[in-house]
Amino acid sequence: MASRRRMLLKVIILGDSGVGKTSLMNQYVNRKFSNQYKATIGADFLTKEIQFEDRLFTLQIWDTAGQERFQSLGVAFYRGADCCVLVHDVNVKKSFDSLNNWREEFLIQASPSDPENFPFVVLGNKIDVDGGNSRVVSEKKAKAWCASKGNIPYFETSAKEGFNVEAAFECIAKNALKNEPEEEMYIPDTIDVARARQQKSSGCEC
Amino acid sequence: MTSDSSSASLSSDDEEESAGQKPNVDVHTNSIDTSLDAIENQLSSIALNTSIDERSVSPTGYHEPVSEIENGSLRESVRERRRNSIGESSSSIGLGLSRNHLEVEVEVEREADGQLASPSSSGYAGERGSSSSPTSASGTDVIRELRDNGSSIGDDGVVSVDPSQTQWIRGKRHADEDDGSISWRKRKKHFFILSHSGKPIYSRYGDEHKLAGFSATLQAIISFVENGGDRVKLVRAGKHQVVFLVKGPIYLVCISCTEEPYESLRGQLELLYGQMVLILTRSVDKCFEKNPKFDMTPLLGGTDAVFSSLIHSFSWNPATFLHAYTCLPLAYTTRQTAGAILQDVADTGVLFSILMCKNKVVSLVGLQKTSLHPDDMLLLANFVMSSESFRQVFYLYMTSESFSPICLPRYNPMAFLYAYVHYLDVSFYNFFIKKIVIQIEAVLAKSNILNEVQRSLSEGGMRIEDLPVDPSSPNNSGSLFHLNHRKPATNGTVTGVGGPAGLWHFVYRSIYLDQYVSSEFASPISHPHQQKRLYRAYERLYASMHDKGVGPHKTQFRRDENYVLLCWVTQDFELYAAFDPLADKGVAIRICNRVCQWVKDVENEIFLLGATPFSW
Ligand SMILES: Nc1nc2c(ncn2[C@@H]2O[C@H](COP(=O)(O)OP(=O)(O)OP(=O)(O)O)[C@@H](O)[C@H]2O)c(=O)[nH]1
Ligand SMILES: [Mg+2]
Repeated sequence: MASRRRMLLKVIILGDSGVGKTSLMNQYVNRKFSNQYKATIGADFLTKEIQFEDRLFTLQIWDTAGQERFQSLGVAFYRGADCCVLVHDVNVKKSFDSLNNWREEFLIQASPSDPENFPFVVLGNKIDVDGGNSRVVSEKKAKAWCASKGNIPYFETSAKEGFNVEAAFECIAKNALKNEPEEEMYIPDTIDVARARQQKSSGCEC
Repeated sequence: MTSDSSSASLSSDDEEESAGQKPNVDVHTNSIDTSLDAIENQLSSIALNTSIDERSVSPTGYHEPVSEIENGSLRESVRERRRNSIGESSSSIGLGLSRNHLEVEVEVEREADGQLASPSSSGYAGERGSSSSPTSASGTDVIRELRDNGSSIGDDGVVSVDPSQTQWIRGKRHADEDDGSISWRKRKKHFFILSHSGKPIYSRYGDEHKLAGFSATLQAIISFVENGGDRVKLVRAGKHQVVFLVKGPIYLVCISCTEEPYESLRGQLELLYGQMVLILTRSVDKCFEKNPKFDMTPLLGGTDAVFSSLIHSFSWNPATFLHAYTCLPLAYTTRQTAGAILQDVADTGVLFSILMCKNKVVSLVGLQKTSLHPDDMLLLANFVMSSESFRQVFYLYMTSESFSPICLPRYNPMAFLYAYVHYLDVSFYNFFIKKIVIQIEAVLAKSNILNEVQRSLSEGGMRIEDLPVDPSSPNNSGSLFHLNHRKPATNGTVTGVGGPAGLWHFVYRSIYLDQYVSSEFASPISHPHQQKRLYRAYERLYASMHDKGVGPHKTQFRRDENYVLLCWVTQDFELYAAFDPLADKGVAIRICNRVCQWVKDVENEIFLLGATPFSW
C-alpha cells in the first residue's frame, strides 16, 4: 500500500431539482437544514475531512443543479469522479423515474474506465414528509431498481431530521475508496544521450 | 554578434516619451474576498449563459423556487443577487463571456452596497467552504470526522513568516490556511495547480486539501469555457487579476493584485508548469488520459520547496522575465580554463556540462546541434538549489554527488535525462547530463578557478560608479578586473553611491547570446523591497516593449515618483536603466550610450562568448 498519504475523493450528487441534494450535503457537512428552497445554480462545492482506517481523506462534494437547463455543464463536472450519488424524493414518482436518465447521462459524460463497476449510491430522501403518508415510491421498488443496476447500495434518508445521512455518506466514502484503481503506471521515457547527440536536433521541441 | 551594434547609438529624437504614464490606478481597494466571490459568481453566470443560449428557460423540476427572502442575512442577499441575475442574464452575460473570442476578459464590479460575500458557495447561512464540524455520535464509528483545528491534520512544515521578511523560506508556507482564512485572502499572489477533474495539485499558500472546494470552482470555470471550444485567459475583478493557463489535463491559475502585466503573470505560470515537467515529464498526461481521477500529488511529494523557490524568484530574478541567463563575471582566461575542463567532461559523451555558482553560469559546454533554452537553465538551477536532497548530501559529506532524473521541458518535454549534480561548495555546483566518472573537483582545484570564483563573488560585477567617463580613452583598461580601487563587498551585496548623472541601475540583455548582465545595486536601491519594486518596473517595461509590432529600434522613457526608466531595444540588445527621478533626460540618454559601450568593452568578462550553443 502506498504510504499514509491523504487522498482526495470527488463525489458528485445528481438528481431532479428539489429532491434535497443541497440539503443532504448541508446536513452532512454543516449539520444544518433549512426549509427554504433555493435552487442551486450550476454547482456548489463543499469539502469534508474524514478519517477511515487510520487514513485521512478529503471528500470534495460537488452538489449539482437539478434543473434541466444546467445539464450541459455535465462533462466538465463529472470528469474524474470517484463516486456518484443519485438522489430521489420518495414522495415524487417522477424523481424516481429520472434516476435511470441521471445514471446513464453520468456514465456517458464521465466515461469511467469500468462503467459496470463504477460506484453509485442511491438515496431516497424526504421520508419524514407527512409521516410517510404521502410516499409514492416504496422501499421495495427502489431496492429492486438498485439491484437491477448491479446492486447499488440504497439508503432511505431525511435531510430534515438528519436521519441516515451520516450512514449514507459513510457508504459513499467507502465506495469511492473501493473504486481506487491500482496505482497508475507512470513510466516516462529516458533519452539516450549518445544517440540524441547524433540525431540532428531530433529532441528539440521548441 | 553584439559588436555589430556598436554603431547604434541612442539619440533623443527617436524615442517616445511616456513620462508620468502610470499603470491605471484602481480606486477600488478590494480584498481578494470580492474576487473569489466574483469568480464564483462568474460560474453562476457561465451556467446561465448556456441555459440562455442552448436551453429553454422553463425549469422542468417539479419543485418551483420559493421566492421569499429572509431579511438581514448577508448570505441571503448574496444568494438573491445571483438569483436576480437570472432575469437580466442576457445582457450581463453577453458582457461576461463571448464565444468565439480567444480572450475572455471579465470585469466584475464590486457591489455598490460594499457588502462582502462570504466564501461559502451554497446558500446557507453560516457555513464554510470547507467545513468539518464535530459530529454527533452516530452508530458506526468507522469513519470519524476531524475537527478543523489543523493540529491533527498533518500540516507539516508550517513556517509562519512576517510578510515583510523578504527572504525565501524553504517549504510550504501557511499550510494551515484555507480559502476561508482572512490571512489567505489577503495574500497578494496565489498560484494553483489543479487537475482537469478539479483535484488540487499545488497551492502556494494553504493546504491543498482544504482548498479542494476552491479548486473545484476553478476547474468548473475553466472546463466550462473549454467545452465551448474557447479558452479563458484572464478575469479581472477589482484589483485582482485571475490568469489561467491550460496545459492538457493540468490547469494552472494565478490570482494576483501585484499589478504585473498579464503577459508576465502568464509567463510565470508557464515557468511553473515547466518546473513541474522538469520533475515529472509530460508523461503524466498519459496517466490522466487513462484515468481522469489520477492523483499526481504523490509524484510531486517533497517538491514544495522547488515550487516556492521558483515563485520567490519571480520577484528577484530578472531571468524569469528576460528569458536569458547571466554569467558570473570572470577574467576571460579563467572562463576559458573552466570551459576546457568542462570540454573534457563533455567529450565523454554527455549532452552538456555546466559549471554554475548559485544562479550564475561560470561555463557551459556541449549540446551541439541541439539547444538549451535559458528557461530550462533557470528551472534546472532552481531545482538543484532548492531540492533538499542535493544539499543535504553536501552538508553530510562536505562534497556531494548525486544523480537525478530530470526533464528539460524546452529540449524534450516527454523524456527524462539523467543529471549528475556535483556540489563543490554550498553555492557552487556543476551538472552533467549522463553518468561520467571524472575527478572534476581535483582538476578544478588545480586550476585556481575556485579562487577566482570566490574573488568574483566578493567583489561583485559591474558597479555603476565604475562607469568609465570616456570609454574610448586609452587609460580605460577594458576590464573589470584591473580597476585598482575595487574593494570586496560585504555579504555579496555591493552598496555604492549611485552612478554618474543619477544612474541607479541597469540590465543589459544580449539577444544573440541569450544572456543578460545586471549592475550591482547601489545605495538608492539597496533594500530588497526597492529591488523588487525595480524588477517589477523592468518587468512592466519588458512586457510593454515586447507587446506587438516592435521595430528594430525602439526606446521608452518614463518618469514617475520613483525613477526615471529608460529602455532601449535594438536587434542586438535591450537595455533597461533606472535613474534618479529628477535625472535630466538628455544626460540620461548619454549615460545609456556609455553603459552600452562599457558592456561591449568588458563583454568577454561578463558574457560567455564563442561557445554559444544556443544559436546553431
Ligand atoms: N421535509 C423535508 N424537506 C426536505 C428534505 N430535504 C430537502 N427538503 C426541502 O426540499 C426543498 C429542496 O431542497 P434542496 O436541497 O434545495 O433541493 P436540491 O435537490 O438541491 O434542488 P436543486 O438545487 O434545484 O437541484 C427545500 O425546501 C428543502 O427544505 C427532507 O428530507 N425532508
Ligand atoms: Mg441544490
